[in-house]
Amino acid sequence: MSMTIDATAATGENSGAVRKELIRQEQTIARKYIGRFPLAMAVWGLGNLLCWLALWPLVLANLLPLWIAFPIAIVNVILCYLPSHEAQHSNFARPGESLRWLNELIGYVSTIPLVLPFKIARITHIEHHRHTNDSELDPDYEARADTWWQAILEGIRRRQPGRPKSYAVALKRLGSAPGVNRAVLEGFVQTLLYWLILSALAWSGYALEAALIWWLPRHIGASYISLFLSWAPHHPANEKSRYRNTRFFTSPLGNILVMGMEHHGIHHLYPAIPLTKNAAAFREMRPILEARGCRFEHI
Amino acid sequence: MKAVLQTINPWGPLLFGLGFLAPLFATLVAQTGAAPAIGLSPPQFGFALGAAWGLYAKLRGSWL
Repeated sequence: MSMTIDATAATGENSGAVRKELIRQEQTIARKYIGRFPLAMAVWGLGNLLCWLALWPLVLANLLPLWIAFPIAIVNVILCYLPSHEAQHSNFARPGESLRWLNELIGYVSTIPLVLPFKIARITHIEHHRHTNDSELDPDYEARADTWWQAILEGIRRRQPGRPKSYAVALKRLGSAPGVNRAVLEGFVQTLLYWLILSALAWSGYALEAALIWWLPRHIGASYISLFLSWAPHHPANEKSRYRNTRFFTSPLGNILVMGMEHHGIHHLYPAIPLTKNAAAFREMRPILEARGCRFEHI
Repeated sequence: MKAVLQTINPWGPLLFGLGFLAPLFATLVAQTGAAPAIGLSPPQFGFALGAAWGLYAKLRGSWL
């Protein structure tokens, strides 16, 4: 069978042979983008953390005004999730590989500004992939909302202390799975440390610095991340099939400001393709994705 | 340790109100030069507001 895709035939009859050929072609393209060390993501993760850490001495030593550090910190928080996301999928190094320590290091430290415990993030994110848009089993399903601004408001509501946390629910369900108890413990400790550090800074006379470099940027960043990484790619979150549970979209903000999420569908099909290769893989795979009935939308 | 952390966790909003919000409000009052009600000093005002808001969040399950 030719490598050329006859989309009409594929969508019209969608015979087993056509489907098999589409999958073969899809996997051939995907393999081209899998396996190379995502250096840009590693530099992004560690560089972004160093930038955020540098804000503290610069501000405390009066070398950088707090009003300049505040927006930089917001950007740092927004940027900190995606390198960890690569580590959650072991895209820097798989278990047993020589750079596995680096994979875990990036996973653990890059999200310090967001205070997102790595192992909880990994476990719940894998659940998100397994059960995308499942109202009972997808830990990210709660990001669902009719409009973008409702998604932001719902995100704020979800962070309130009395609301059941979908990640906690998922962890409880997976209670007997290996590593879950350890992840929960690490999550508690990391959150407690965050509170202690904020309090120590505040009672030492650096309350405004703590608020504007960490506390407030964390809340703003969490809303931004939830909007573009959870809500936008899956909206309206009512389809569960492999090719339609995530949409390809164009955004007025452009792909950079939505952190590459216009091609998030590629990530759901092939999580081992690094974020920086999703756009190229999408361009090459697009005819196949169209033949498969993927969603292409504008927000 | 897990048991200790699980005991602390439900009291998180109150602890956060006292630990972080109280000194934050005190700093804001002091830096803006605002005069707190009933003759409270900035630290007293911060402590009262931080504790009250933290307790409200603990009881209501929401800061809002």
